[in-house]
Amino acid sequence: MKIIKANDGPLTNFEVLDYLRSRGASKEVAVTVAPSEYKVFEYLVETAACNQTREHVTDFVQKVKTYNLAKAEVLNIINIRPPLPVGIFTIVENCDARLGEAAAEELAEMVSETLPPPLAQPEIQDADQLDETIADGNPQPIADSDGEAA
Amino acid sequence: MFSLSLIEHTLRLPPHLLGLSLEKAVRHELEGLFLDKVIAKLGLCVSVYDIRSINGGFIFPGDGAPTYTVRCRLIMFRPFVGEIIDAKLKDYDENSLRLSLGFFDDICIPPHLLPTPSHFWPDPENRNRRRWVWEYQTDDENQTSGSMFAIDEIGATIRFKVQSISYPSIPLEQPNSSKPFAPMVVTGSIDNDGLGPLSWWE
Repeated sequence: MKIIKANDGPLTNFEVLDYLRSRGASKEVAVTVAPSEYKVFEYLVETAACNQTREHVTDFVQKVKTYNLAKAEVLNIINIRPPLPVGIFTIVENCDARLGEAAAEELAEMVSETLPPPLAQPEIQDADQLDETIADGNPQPIADSDGEAA
Repeated sequence: MFSLSLIEHTLRLPPHLLGLSLEKAVRHELEGLFLDKVIAKLGLCVSVYDIRSINGGFIFPGDGAPTYTVRCRLIMFRPFVGEIIDAKLKDYDENSLRLSLGFFDDICIPPHLLPTPSHFWPDPENRNRRRWVWEYQTDDENQTSGSMFAIDEIGATIRFKVQSISYPSIPLEQPNSSKPFAPMVVTGSIDNDGLGPLSWWE
């Protein structure tokens, strides 16, 4: 075996997940991929990559150009999807010098807007829907004070 | 975490596979050869991404099967130094924390890369076990005691930063009782803001 090119390009978790999906891996049936490939699929489906699409990722890469981050840092952000500034501090080296707190917060907000949240969010959505149905039940006035006098 | 590697390999196609189309047969052979195996300096092979070219097809004298020279790209699991990865805590002892990704188990966090100061103390609930505890000290100099954060939940997700990857060479002899040989070991660190069990930072 000869190694022609040891590093032909890095892949985001999303791209690997997309590839495994195109080969037929899914949560219900997993016959077309090998067991070891299925384990990778199981791991990736629980990370932030499970809801991402190609549009999300290309959109994010465009928007993040203004921050002058290294390629590895952009890759880390796409894979981990930190919604809070503390996550940005972990990923970006020398964050205070290069970005500063305000820019890190901006970046964290942009991440939350551009990349979809991982599957752990549905509980919050259900609670919101519950609030809406309760609010819709506006109390009706029992009697009209201006009712016609008998 | 993942990257593509272009390799060239000469393989012998067993005759019982010649009923399939050439591409399917070659892919089947490649998967059997490389899937879930560690290649030194390239990492753990996860999948065959695509086949770039298949050449040859010669049958050597005395052999009953054709030999092909194939160029293909493999998806390799090869984290780069400085990458942040979420993994589950599998086991811990006084020498290291061991984390697992499901498809890769040999991630090790040595004691000097735990947040300082950390101690391996007896568990107050279970006398027999000892566990790692991080003593978080506030900056105030007058305060001598800090709050304790334990790292002891098996299966909890831990965020770590890759410190280094090593490919130890295959030992010639191994005593029967030692652990199975790990061809690729990822060393991680959780000595930074935002690293460690995710429950600490939510």
